[in-house]
Amino acid sequence: MNKMIEIKNVNKFYGRKQALYDINLTIEKGMFGLLGRNGAGKTTLMKTIAALHQKKSGSITVCGAPIERAGEIRAMTGYLPQDFSMYPSMKTDEALEYLGALSGMKAADLRERVTDILHKVNLTEQRSKKVAQLSGGMKRRLGIAQALIHDPQVLIVDEPTAGLDPEERIRFRNLLCEVAEDRIVILSTHIVGDVEATCEQIAIMDEGKILWQGTVSQLINNAIGHVYTANVERRFMPQLKKEYIVTGMITQAEYTTVRIVSDSEPDLPNAVLTEPDLEAAYMYCLHSSGCGIKGDEE
Amino acid sequence: MMLFIRECKKIFHSLTFIIYFAAVILMFFTQFWPAMDEPVTSSTIDSYELAKISGEPETIMPKALDSLTGCYFSNTYRCYPYGLFKAVHLNSRDNDKIRDCITEMSSLNADELEELKAASSISHVKVGTNELESYNVKGVPLSEDITYERFREIMGEVDDILGGGSDYRPDDLAYKFSQEPMTHEEILEQYDEFMEKDHIAIAYGRLFSDYLGIILAVIPVFVAAALVTADKRTKMNELIYSRRISSFRLVFTRFAALVLTMVIPVLLCGAIASARIMYMYKGSTPDIAGAFEVSGKWLLPDIMLAAAMGMFISELFSAGMAILVQFAAWFMCMMMTSMPLYGHIGRFTFICRHNSLFYRSEFMKHYSDFIFSRIFYTAAALAAVLLTVFVYELKRGGKFNGIMFFGKDSIFRHKT
Amino acid sequence: MALCFSARTVYSDIRHNFLPHYLLAAAIVVITPLFFSVSELDSRQAAQPLEMIISLTGTVLLTPVFMPEQNESIRDLIRSKKAPYLLTCMIRLLIGLLLLAVLTGISVLYMKKCHSQVTFRHFTGTAASAMALGSIGFFTAGVSNNVIIGYMASLLCYILNFIARDKLSIFFIFSMMNGSYDEKKWIFVLSFALILSVFMYFKLIRKY
Repeated sequence: MNKMIEIKNVNKFYGRKQALYDINLTIEKGMFGLLGRNGAGKTTLMKTIAALHQKKSGSITVCGAPIERAGEIRAMTGYLPQDFSMYPSMKTDEALEYLGALSGMKAADLRERVTDILHKVNLTEQRSKKVAQLSGGMKRRLGIAQALIHDPQVLIVDEPTAGLDPEERIRFRNLLCEVAEDRIVILSTHIVGDVEATCEQIAIMDEGKILWQGTVSQLINNAIGHVYTANVERRFMPQLKKEYIVTGMITQAEYTTVRIVSDSEPDLPNAVLTEPDLEAAYMYCLHSSGCGIKGDEE
Repeated sequence: MMLFIRECKKIFHSLTFIIYFAAVILMFFTQFWPAMDEPVTSSTIDSYELAKISGEPETIMPKALDSLTGCYFSNTYRCYPYGLFKAVHLNSRDNDKIRDCITEMSSLNADELEELKAASSISHVKVGTNELESYNVKGVPLSEDITYERFREIMGEVDDILGGGSDYRPDDLAYKFSQEPMTHEEILEQYDEFMEKDHIAIAYGRLFSDYLGIILAVIPVFVAAALVTADKRTKMNELIYSRRISSFRLVFTRFAALVLTMVIPVLLCGAIASARIMYMYKGSTPDIAGAFEVSGKWLLPDIMLAAAMGMFISELFSAGMAILVQFAAWFMCMMMTSMPLYGHIGRFTFICRHNSLFYRSEFMKHYSDFIFSRIFYTAAALAAVLLTVFVYELKRGGKFNGIMFFGKDSIFRHKT
Repeated sequence: MALCFSARTVYSDIRHNFLPHYLLAAAIVVITPLFFSVSELDSRQAAQPLEMIISLTGTVLLTPVFMPEQNESIRDLIRSKKAPYLLTCMIRLLIGLLLLAVLTGISVLYMKKCHSQVTFRHFTGTAASAMALGSIGFFTAGVSNNVIIGYMASLLCYILNFIARDKLSIFFIFSMMNGSYDEKKWIFVLSFALILSVFMYFKLIRKY
């Protein structure tokens, strides 16, 4: 089967407000990162792919099936929303069994599958705990488990690492990489580190538009020659932030070492070109696409 | 099947269902149980003070005409339009219309009517805050040509002029003006019907349905509304929307689970009542199956409709709206129930009443209407569930977000 | 300061959450004379529309006090805000009670204008009944964290009164219809206790 998601010229409106502008994307097997600021339209795009939102125009096919055949799409996708919960009084395994039943799984297979999947997401010990008693990280892992329970070909996860501690976040990323071996996984996030660690292919969204699409290394290459470091006196920092995009800073005594993204060499006495990291490359991409990000913004 | 069991389990664990369960049991023990204190026997049946409604035009017409004439003289009519008292005073034009009605029904003309007024004795009765003159009118002569059909027609006009709910509503005339105590023979006939035709249990089945029907016409809406809105409240809706299951299957499974779980406490009460009946009437063979049959036909459509309306309105608007609509409908049904509490079941009666172990023949007279109403409300419930499927599918695909009157998604708000 | 924050929260609440309830309560008062006679009634008759219908404003006004925070995550958010949650609820409750008193007052005065035999007792009696229905809804909604359960308890209590009538002895909320006023003080005490116990429950057990 054609394991690919093809999005062509998709537009979407909320009332009169346009939320997606002429989106074109091709997503193949493996991890795909959708990077963008809050409110960039990532969730809208994800929900449209999961057949939970209507598009105004354009076409989307998921593994060969057009999005209009919602039943088919739902059978082959697993979706983890950004903001979700489950009936708090249900036990962990009961919640999974319930959602598995809604996915049309047979009772006999389900029991076994729940055990497997709980093991996979490291929740075996919590299987008899009520959902309300789970920690934030456990809930997220349960979220992935429910999205995987029916072994979908496509997994859509929306901002899954928000609110997780660093350890949980790493564990979560590893889990996603594992499941992406034999299926399409779309991960949306505003945290660059999530994408850096997991995705080969990425797209950057802003204000409902795709600004850029390619591999992580291509994005980094684009930024070569535009990322500088400099030592600046602390008192000049406010002024500096106004003029340049500052992607990192380390303060030592009176001086601050800053990392700056700039089209041309910055007018600073000791600025030197440096190797861009993904964060700086992402900021450069936003900046070169004309998105207002100077100042104190991300 | 597995999903159905899971939905049932979910309902069993919900607080609304536990309260529902308690309410049904409470209703059963406080209202119905006292009727099973002691068995009905040929010697105790006299204590039930059974009355009969002869319905004979010769009795009804003179009494109703006397009553109406008295009210016309004092221009005070007692009405109960929505179950609560309303004293109606007509303006002179409308009161003249009443006069015309009276002169058509009686052999008196307007002048003779005035003479009668002058000759009638007056007593003072307190109606509301006013001490009103009440005319003791007796023996207003009926017109010789008037037929009972025409008489009912005219009384219908009178009731319309009074705004409805008066003593003269054609359907209530027989009850208001031809009620009298039963003779001993008639009471024994009732007893025979109770024993031979109702086989004891069916009579209890009707009374059981009468009491439980009062609450089953409204409280299932809470359980249904809570189930439907739980997905959103617990932020589970998107997880469910993205599943493979069809909206049709999901909504109908939930509906079936709601109905089945809500039938259970009713069945339990039925079983307790059956055991009590068997114990009370040792030696007889009560038709327990017949009792369950009549109760099933009676109560199942009530539960189904209240649950279906709960699902549909909650999905379309909100749980609060579903509760408001169903409670308002229940309130109006209850307030507009006419007396006596038997023999009034019509084709569209939602809350059927038969508050007696007796009067089987009155019930059977309207049996086809009873069956019609039950089929009608079952069909209405299924239609409401189908509409729920439709709304659910729209919401699930992001085509519709439910109707909101207020807030940021209000339908009155200009969308930008 | 806290009061100021709470007042601001409540103002936005009213606009976004409670306005429909307030309008519904007002609609009950406006619609009543269209369906039921309110003129020239004696003391007992006047109690009928007041106790049976106007008292429902209590269910409508007091039950949804906790409604905006039914959602778990919203409640956590509220907890972390500057406005103390219980104070916010208390202000909402007081506004509900105030409206209840005003609407009952309007009904009673209108009936007086229509020459019905109503006294100050009709006002306090009706307000007590409304408060009873409302406080039962308020209590159950608060403790169960589900407004639907609040409405259910309140309306079941109403239905129970509708059916069982004076068998409920001191808890009969339609007692003025039978010419008795003694029940009202019990009802009032019970309502007050229910309201107080919700706040105690939130403070001591849920630790807001």
